[in-house]
Amino acid sequence: MARDTAVLVLGGGSTGCGIARDLAMRGLDVTLVERGNLTDGTTGRMHGLLHSGGRYAVSDQASATECIEENEILREIAGHCVEETGGLFVQRPEDSDDYFREKLEGCRECGIPARVLSGSEAREVEPYLADDVKRAIEVPDGAVDPFRLCVANAIDAETHGARVETHAEVIDLLRDGDDIYGVEVRHDSGPGKRTHATPGTTEEITADYVVNATGAWAGQIGAMADLEIEVRPSKGVMTIMNVRQVDTVINRCRPKGDADIVVPHETTAILGTTDEEVSDPDDYPEAGWEVDQMIDTLSELVPILSEARTIRSFWGVRPLYEPPGTGTQDPTDITRDFFLLDHADRDGVSGMSSIVGGKFTTYRAMAEEISDHVCEQLGVNASCATAEEPLPGSENIERLEAGMDDFGLRSPVARRSKQRLGSRACDVLETDEPNPVICQCEGVTRAEIQDAVSQSGSDLNAVRIRTRASMGNCQGGFCCGNMASELHPTHDEETVREALDELFQERWKGERHALWGEQLSQAMLNYALHAATMNRDRDPASAGEDVDFAAFDGGRPEGDRVDGPRGAR
Amino acid sequence: MSDAERPTDGGVSGDDDFEPIQVFPEAEEMDLRPGADDCYKCSTCDTNCPVAEVDDEFPGPKFQGPEQWRLKRQEDQDVDDSVMKCSNCMRCDSACPSDVPLSQMHNTARGEYVEEQMDKFSREYVRNRILANYRRLAPLGSMFPRTTNFVMGLSATQWLGEKVLGITSERELPEFATETFREWWTKRGGAQVTNPDKRIAYFHGCYANYNTPEVAKALVRVYEHLGYEIMVPDQHCSGTPMFANGMLEDARRSAETNVRELAAALEDGADIVASCSSCSMSLRQEYPELFDFDGTDDVAENTWDAVEYLRVHEDLEAELEGTSVGDEFDDFAYHAPCHARNQGLDGQTLEVLAPIDGVEAHDVGDSCSGISGTYGWKAENYETSMKIGEEMVDHMEDADAETGLTECPTCSMQMEHGTGYEITHTLEVLEAALVGTAESTATGANAQ
Amino acid sequence: MAIEDDVLVIGGGLAGATAALAAADRGAQVRLVSAKQSTLRHASGLIDVLGYAPAGDGPLADPFAALEDLPAGHPYERVGGEAVREALSFFDEIAGDAYEGGHTDANALVPTHGGTVKPTARYPASTADGLASDDRDALLVGFETLPDFDAPLAASHLKAAGAPFEARGVTVRFPGIVRDDAKITRYAHLLDQPETVRTDRGETTAREALAAVVEPHLEGEPRVGFPAVLGDDHADAVRADLGDRLGVDVFEVPMGPPSLPGMRLEDLLYDALAERGVRVTTGVPVVDYETAADGPDGNAPPPIDHVIVDRNGTEIPHRADQYVLATGGLVGKGVESERGRVFEPIFDCHVPHAADRYDWFVDDVFGDQPYAQFGLPVDRDLRPLDADDGLEFPNLRGAGAVLGGYDFAAEKSGAGVSLATGYVAGQRAAEERQ
Repeated sequence: MARDTAVLVLGGGSTGCGIARDLAMRGLDVTLVERGNLTDGTTGRMHGLLHSGGRYAVSDQASATECIEENEILREIAGHCVEETGGLFVQRPEDSDDYFREKLEGCRECGIPARVLSGSEAREVEPYLADDVKRAIEVPDGAVDPFRLCVANAIDAETHGARVETHAEVIDLLRDGDDIYGVEVRHDSGPGKRTHATPGTTEEITADYVVNATGAWAGQIGAMADLEIEVRPSKGVMTIMNVRQVDTVINRCRPKGDADIVVPHETTAILGTTDEEVSDPDDYPEAGWEVDQMIDTLSELVPILSEARTIRSFWGVRPLYEPPGTGTQDPTDITRDFFLLDHADRDGVSGMSSIVGGKFTTYRAMAEEISDHVCEQLGVNASCATAEEPLPGSENIERLEAGMDDFGLRSPVARRSKQRLGSRACDVLETDEPNPVICQCEGVTRAEIQDAVSQSGSDLNAVRIRTRASMGNCQGGFCCGNMASELHPTHDEETVREALDELFQERWKGERHALWGEQLSQAMLNYALHAATMNRDRDPASAGEDVDFAAFDGGRPEGDRVDGPRGAR
Repeated sequence: MSDAERPTDGGVSGDDDFEPIQVFPEAEEMDLRPGADDCYKCSTCDTNCPVAEVDDEFPGPKFQGPEQWRLKRQEDQDVDDSVMKCSNCMRCDSACPSDVPLSQMHNTARGEYVEEQMDKFSREYVRNRILANYRRLAPLGSMFPRTTNFVMGLSATQWLGEKVLGITSERELPEFATETFREWWTKRGGAQVTNPDKRIAYFHGCYANYNTPEVAKALVRVYEHLGYEIMVPDQHCSGTPMFANGMLEDARRSAETNVRELAAALEDGADIVASCSSCSMSLRQEYPELFDFDGTDDVAENTWDAVEYLRVHEDLEAELEGTSVGDEFDDFAYHAPCHARNQGLDGQTLEVLAPIDGVEAHDVGDSCSGISGTYGWKAENYETSMKIGEEMVDHMEDADAETGLTECPTCSMQMEHGTGYEITHTLEVLEAALVGTAESTATGANAQ
Repeated sequence: MAIEDDVLVIGGGLAGATAALAAADRGAQVRLVSAKQSTLRHASGLIDVLGYAPAGDGPLADPFAALEDLPAGHPYERVGGEAVREALSFFDEIAGDAYEGGHTDANALVPTHGGTVKPTARYPASTADGLASDDRDALLVGFETLPDFDAPLAASHLKAAGAPFEARGVTVRFPGIVRDDAKITRYAHLLDQPETVRTDRGETTAREALAAVVEPHLEGEPRVGFPAVLGDDHADAVRADLGDRLGVDVFEVPMGPPSLPGMRLEDLLYDALAERGVRVTTGVPVVDYETAADGPDGNAPPPIDHVIVDRNGTEIPHRADQYVLATGGLVGKGVESERGRVFEPIFDCHVPHAADRYDWFVDDVFGDQPYAQFGLPVDRDLRPLDADDGLEFPNLRGAGAVLGGYDFAAEKSGAGVSLATGYVAGQRAAEERQ
């Protein structure tokens, strides 16, 4: 029987998008389905560290070696998603000298370029480091924008013929005896999310082979076909600072522990993180003490953090996995390596493999290995090209950085636009129309918003992850209305209103965790603007109750008007 | 990057002595991104910007300040060139309801721009350097005041100024006094009152020394009348014009001298007073924001506006009650300089003059005069400067007065330029009320 | 010696200015000290009194009827309904022709720049022809370079909200604007002067050019609305001129921040302060205070003797007999917070709040937000109360958003509370001065 697609990839995170791109580039017919937006799961909820491998150089040297290899590849193929910040492993007086030495040796054994800096040299690199920092190891850590990277993979997969379907939740695995041949998805009921499918409908998508790349949710997918996949989701908190206090990744040089990393990320700095096993990746407690711990502990390394403004916090769930029977108690001890579970070998059910464990930095290598496996299953002979072919936006990036046109924009806005858009900047920003800045915190112009809307339809959260609009200090208070306006008239007023409400609520979700000091002032100002000035909280258009306009003041009676009768001029 | 300093400090006679220098060696250390933490995007600063209102090439203080800083990464050097359009009026500072260090951000960004991006051989740079270093030019002018005034007034000189240097020929350069304040001070034998309990150190600034010594003399007479011992320490330019032109290294050198001399005066038990609102602003706010010599904070905390000091330390209202100024002054059209406004002093003059009989000061509103120090002297800014000042000039002409009153020397130039009125300083009115007219006391003072 | 007055008002927003004017009206020598600029420029310039009951009922056609049912501790309940009416009359007197709505007790429904409508009691003259509770058809005009107001979208939204007229929206280019990030004051200034701009048809004034751009879009609508950028000092003339040229009534849709209607209201208030002899010191914060040695009797708290104003590092004492605290709420920074506490920064007056900051909010962004009600509890004389309901100081009163116990954004009651409490605090301060 003819199937809808050769390979069906479940999950629109880095792994899923990486696999879709890899297989599509090899000429396979690929469909990817994602429950929400691209990156909605773990990918969009990480600290944005491009590992040098230094963090694993003592405990897990295989992972460390893989990290440095992939780190070097991503700098080449995804230059516009990566910022080469460098990283420091910082030792405080109370941290162990032995461990510092082990770390340095480990780096060297794994081929990670590493150099020791004295305390004052480290402070020269990062002036806000604490005065009593003893010394540091410098490694080639970097910062990566997971949204941009993931979207670039998806765009390239589509360019190579793949179908990428977001807001399509898998509600069943189609299983015929011992063979899995597809899934049933439900398209999201929100209007106008994507134009492919009618909202609220379900669809069966059949495939020659299914790849379950849903990470922390892999167990839930497996259960739909009575397969047991022992994912051990582990949550971690990340707190976003309003500005970059550091421009280098700052790691605490000690064996393991919570709150030991600060990653400069785009215009912000991200503090991380914790590691605590949870039973349900969609439902776990998010507590204030976790945020406090980030700020208080990391202030030991960068004291200015204790007074600095945080704009939100979020939690991510790691898709940790270990083979049955390993029995590790502490989730920090579970390996960060990934596992390819071929359910034919493992459970006697053909047609599907699951991919679990792993980490963002090595997503491409994981995708390559799985794609090799899929090709083998399908009897296709094609080789991987993802290590050489640059992602869209990263072609000829050096030419772009050489300067050239500012597209009539103020230079910092032009610079940020080019940093985000990479080699696509010219196509996106070149316009004869007025191109005002829509998001002032992040310097995002109308042209860039329109480009994102053309990719993602009316879902403003999808626009957000493509552009960073609404991710700055006002957390959308001042710009999300203007972002929504950009949907009109392509999308009707009701769709625009719902998209705006959804984005505004999503921004609040993270901002709640930063509600003190400046951010509480900001929240009150946002609330006053949207509720008091605009009355968006009690909007008669959304309230569903008719207002008796005639009962209200319709203006001063004709005869009493100082400036004469109406319309008479 | 060259570490070469300019070989000498003198020589501003128009020779090509302007070598590229490291204007702001500590630029790398001035990370003001954390200052963006205070901004909640309300744009109150933008609505107070007199430049953005008349020229949309200038994107306003919110962009120039917290937004531009927040978008910055360590390795990003480019500062948008529009920062040079900021007139440094600092109104954004006193507007921001959330304490964003706006003018500090602008000063630093401007310093970086001039250092990193401006061609050191460009006409603009040379011109700005000359304007910023007015104090170095001034001694030459006052050495031969009549000749200089004559030469400066020649249309050929003005034409040259415009064509060669981009200094507008629309304005008449300020006249130099035949005797500087310091010359007068030395001649009269310095302080005439000794009082270890009431001692002030006077920061007269450049303009009151070279161009309007009558203001400085008025201060001396008023303070001595009230029993103060006055010290006049050695001093350089306050730095205001240098900040405004991004010449932060020039400003640093001047500030270092000023802080040293004024800190020494504090040691001697004096408080510091200034008669020029930009000078007091600079000592109080910009020094601690931009420098940290020993004593910078002490100097800032103990610097006062000259009239404010008397209000707090004397019962000035009682002293002035029932005084009059005779025929010398009539009613005034009063303009509060932006830099006085920033210090919360915009209402002071009207309150202080109220008890004096026979004079009334009419406030001409809260607009900016538009000249903002050196800003309005640049040919490319002249038109914008006059557009900004239009409101003030209109209000002056509407007010029931034929004389202008202000505490800022460059505002007074703009006021005079716009209306043709004679412009007075508040201290001169106080002098007339408390001591008598300048003429009647001048002989006495010289005689002593 | 300290700078001395009878009444010292701290805070220069609507509440502070009203308090100062009310006190001056009773013959007191008043000084108003304002740290930086107030939140008037953030707000729309509308005078909301009560648009929704605290429980959410509304929009209320009659705000006064609902005043009697407010919960104890609500600022309106503290001052009483009659004081609200008096304060509004006081405002009407000060505002003169600049504001309308005083001819009726009913709220008006005003279009917002977000597209919906909201109930308000007084509106600037510039908005008078723009009421959504007026049934004349309207053309809304937006500008390509001003993303805050999308006129076609706002017109569709008005229809969805049930407005009783046809609204259409068009987007045009604003003549004379050269940069896409021009500030709203730039738009206003072009029209205010008016400046000369260059168009296809040669050089004309900005007003003439704007009318020419809009005219072809008119389809017989008797009124045309613009985002609130139609002039600053000469807004009335700008509107009249555009109206004459187009043969229609011209109105503004309130916007902000930044808000030109808010700036015009600020100008109006500060002109009134100058007229009434109130001494105004702006740009500098009150940072501290000293109390007198003793209270009037042994048990009562001692009165405030003087406050300290920080002028760029120099501490200047200011003394008065009575003080009014009108420093605003979380936005105006009259109420501040840290991770573990919410506080009033000058006098450290008691601000009730939950110990756990996760109880300061609810998960629905527009839900009943506890943080929105942060502020000082006061007695019926508007004097702040400590945690045991005792007086903080006998000679300090609170007014405006620094007060707690109400959510002005949900109720649409911000300006009304500022007027009513400012009016009462100012009057009582003047009456009680020695």
